[in-house]
Amino acid sequence: MKIPDDGFLKREVFRKGFNRLLILIAAISLLAFLLYCVPALQEVPFTGKIIITNSDELKKDVLYKKQITLIKRDIQRLSWRYNSYTSGQSYMVINTTDNLFYLYRNKKLIRQGHCSTGSFKMLKTEEGRSWIFKTPKGKFWIHGKTENPPWRRPDWSFVEEGLPIPPQDHYSRWEYGVLGDYALSLGDGYLIHGTIYKRFLGMPVTHGCVRLNDDDLEVIFNTLNIGSKVFIF
Amino acid sequence: METEKIFISADRRAKIIAWIVIVIFFLIYYTVMAMLAPAKKMETLRREYGYKQDVNNPTDDRIFTDSTYLDLLHKKSFLQSRVTMAATDSIYLSISLPDSTLKLEISGVTVHRAQIRRINISTLFSGSDNYIILSMLSSPLTISRNFSSIKKEPLMIRMAPKDTSEYVPDIIPDTADYEPVNYIMEMDNGIRLHIYQEDKLKPGDGLYRSLFDIYHRMRYAAKIFLRVITFRVPEYQPYIKLRIPRSDAKIIYRALPEKGQIALYF
Repeated sequence: MKIPDDGFLKREVFRKGFNRLLILIAAISLLAFLLYCVPALQEVPFTGKIIITNSDELKKDVLYKKQITLIKRDIQRLSWRYNSYTSGQSYMVINTTDNLFYLYRNKKLIRQGHCSTGSFKMLKTEEGRSWIFKTPKGKFWIHGKTENPPWRRPDWSFVEEGLPIPPQDHYSRWEYGVLGDYALSLGDGYLIHGTIYKRFLGMPVTHGCVRLNDDDLEVIFNTLNIGSKVFIF
Repeated sequence: METEKIFISADRRAKIIAWIVIVIFFLIYYTVMAMLAPAKKMETLRREYGYKQDVNNPTDDRIFTDSTYLDLLHKKSFLQSRVTMAATDSIYLSISLPDSTLKLEISGVTVHRAQIRRINISTLFSGSDNYIILSMLSSPLTISRNFSSIKKEPLMIRMAPKDTSEYVPDIIPDTADYEPVNYIMEMDNGIRLHIYQEDKLKPGDGLYRSLFDIYHRMRYAAKIFLRVITFRVPEYQPYIKLRIPRSDAKIIYRALPEKGQIALYF
């Protein structure tokens, strides 16, 4: 049996390595072609770019003038309708991602600052009950305003602390002073209120309500009326 | 022995050449089919949104190449779409490419504004059939699917303590948590809106963005591939790629509902 010389083995190793490299290059090229070239080729203008003629003859045409008048009237009507949605009254905007609030009067920003909104925590019990602590998003309005509001503790507040849930009318459900000096109701149990945890303002820590510091809360309480809009996003 | 070696080598070479020819033919077929897709999409749109001549009130075709008319049509289409969305209580997005702005709005009130830093859009939007595109955009675009590097609702599950001894008060949330923000929203009419974070706040942000983009290019290529191997023209998905600051991108993604609506002015 003939033993291959050292040069032959080296050439074989080189050839195999070279083949692998070629396969790798081919695979990468194929992938690049499918991922980048084909989508780029799809973007080759297939109907041609729009050519603006602005024909003077057309501009003198009665039908053209009529079309332009009609479309201008439509735009005016739509603009009027769109602007009618914008509230001229006072309203509040709450940004739940950055925990910021903005207060507007006559479409002008009059105050802004930090607030606290829902923590996005889901509390689960072994019995299968669960609560999600998030601030709802969308358009709301002020349903009611209260000074020195007491807090009626819901079930989750006891579950969260490992306490037994008391009956609905039990005295332990009522706490005073924890919601600050004022509360504005947004419906479904959600409130805009004050807090004793001021160091958490600007963070997502609440059970769904919107917490504010005392000064901001007072201005908001005095600016917004029942029926004023609150936009939460 | 030597003849056998030459024979094997020639046989192998023939096989390689045959494979190369097959791959090249497939690539040509694949490319042709992929390039037919935009024309097919345009044809579908033309059937649905194309201008239908009114016999009693005929329109001169030259009006569709008149800049005054087209500018007004752009405005009307955008407004019409926003009016439709403003009638709901939901949060929606208005994109104005000429102003480079994105606006989150609720019932006609702008609640957040973001500046677009970079824009890249499909040629479909600058094609000669502007009327068709504008008619399509006169109704809001509805998001059908989201692909994102961040969660829409970052829920954290916590088990309730069994008694007071197990109760641990909440600690301050870790606001230093950092995730790159890139997402794609696929609309019901096939348009894809890519929103990528522009700023490179941490090393690797650029790499994450590229990987996210490559992953979704692969998904799109796979869709084309599956259609092509079954001898069907693939579905063309026009795109709008925007780069905006990370904080704005995060706010917009978290604020928009799962099936949110979008108005586009281009």
